[in-house]
Amino acid sequence: MRAFLLKIEPLIWLMFGQGILIGTMLLTGWILVVGLLIPLGMVDASALSYDRAYALATASLFGVIPVGKLVLAALLVLPLWKGAHHVRSLHVDFGGAERDGIVGMLLYGVALVGSIVGILAVVGL
Amino acid sequence: MSRPAHPHAMAPHTPGRTRTAPPQMPSTWWSAPRIRNYLLFDATGIVYYLISFLAIGMVQALARGPESWEAVMTRLRHPAYIAFHVLCLVSVVFVAVRFFSLFPKAQPKAIGPIKPPPGPVIHAMLYVVWLGITAIMTAILAGVIF
Amino acid sequence: MADKTIVITRFDPDKDQAPRKQEYKVPCEPDWKVLDAINFIKDELDGSVAHRWSCRMAVCGSCGMMVNGEPKLTCKTSINDYGDRVDIEPLANFPIVRDLVVDLDGFMHKFQSVKPWIIRAKEKAADPIAARAALHPVKGTYSQSADQLATFKQFSMCINCMLCYAACPVVANEPEFLGPAAIALGHRYNMDSRDEGQGERNEIFRGEGTVFSCSYANECSEVCPKNVDPAAAVNQAKFGAVIDWAKNLVLPRGGA
Repeated sequence: MRAFLLKIEPLIWLMFGQGILIGTMLLTGWILVVGLLIPLGMVDASALSYDRAYALATASLFGVIPVGKLVLAALLVLPLWKGAHHVRSLHVDFGGAERDGIVGMLLYGVALVGSIVGILAVVGL
Repeated sequence: MSRPAHPHAMAPHTPGRTRTAPPQMPSTWWSAPRIRNYLLFDATGIVYYLISFLAIGMVQALARGPESWEAVMTRLRHPAYIAFHVLCLVSVVFVAVRFFSLFPKAQPKAIGPIKPPPGPVIHAMLYVVWLGITAIMTAILAGVIF
Repeated sequence: MADKTIVITRFDPDKDQAPRKQEYKVPCEPDWKVLDAINFIKDELDGSVAHRWSCRMAVCGSCGMMVNGEPKLTCKTSINDYGDRVDIEPLANFPIVRDLVVDLDGFMHKFQSVKPWIIRAKEKAADPIAARAALHPVKGTYSQSADQLATFKQFSMCINCMLCYAACPVVANEPEFLGPAAIALGHRYNMDSRDEGQGERNEIFRGEGTVFSCSYANECSEVCPKNVDPAAAVNQAKFGAVIDWAKNLVLPRGGA
């Protein structure tokens, strides 16, 4: 399993890097509004009523570039890989190198499943 | 609290020439401030994992229709979710600050003939882009624009 | 002059089951480095203490030890920066041979495994006729501009003191990992305009001791006494290894 991980490591590292960079850039505003401002009542809930949320998610630029879906897909998928990679290295830092192969496969596997489910959800909107 | 390193850490390539004591990690392997920041940085991975799955659930609810979407938005008002999102916000800001400071020097010194701008400029650019995107996202989601 | 308690890790492979601590009272002069205190112990108090040192001016890289839990060049660290009790241990993450002396063999092997020499597909011979004919004669076989030198000079300043290995959390936990100094040295040759061995080294970088094991704790750069900044080298090397990997996907064997 370690041999397989070694093979895909460059690809994983790219996804991980984008997860930190783009994931962090997109998540900050999302957490701020969806997770805090609206639930705490500081912003009116009508800002993300079903109709407006759906309109935003399916918004497109010039009618061809689905900006809403692209942003959502990046926001759902990229942080998963940042998460998987960092949890894996945390596990090694606490002495788990012997199980690194199986733990890595498990973490990346969950990230892969999450990515597919997330992209299907976005496409299905 | 000290702890041994991996028993084979930095093991000799030709073993058995002499009896050695097993390698130890630094006694401050988790308590030194720099190392603690690093371990916390890695630990934010758990938060990123969870927020992704939460967001995936929200998009699925949006796809199912108005009732399930409103149900999700109501559930987010629960104090446990609020607390989780506070943790998320702290994590994201922490990741941004640490990552932006580490990012510039990891850039290749030249990609062919193209030279990236000097470190401090990249550092400043990252902050500008991050704060810009956050401001735009916040304004759009909160209904201030569009 | 201040009396300090210096705690030295002792380990005699012939007698001791495990390392133990021994305390010495040392009258420290104001201008002393940590190494001076250890040398005082060796010369005046206990001749059986074993430690490595040579140049006393931070160029030989022999006297790296853990001082109060942090890897330090003891010849470059003032003893008076510390309190009345100073804990001196052998470098962390290395097998201990005796007292403050660690086993270098594993490090030397990793160091060599990145092929730290200039690799040429074909040797270029000096061509005096072409040099004479050219408007700007080429001086030497492989000339290099100041700009080209600047891309790697910093990474060639390493003195092999191994402080970065003692500081790195990945070295501690993953025995295969090449480690900061070795990757920085390999990257130094990859960046060298005279070198053509990037393909070979990038394969090593993606191999068993993979550069991607680095989780960018940045500790190596924090403890480096020569400002080599190994963390920058390792992470630049990741970019290089990824670009090389992508190239191989599109054009197997470099398009040859």
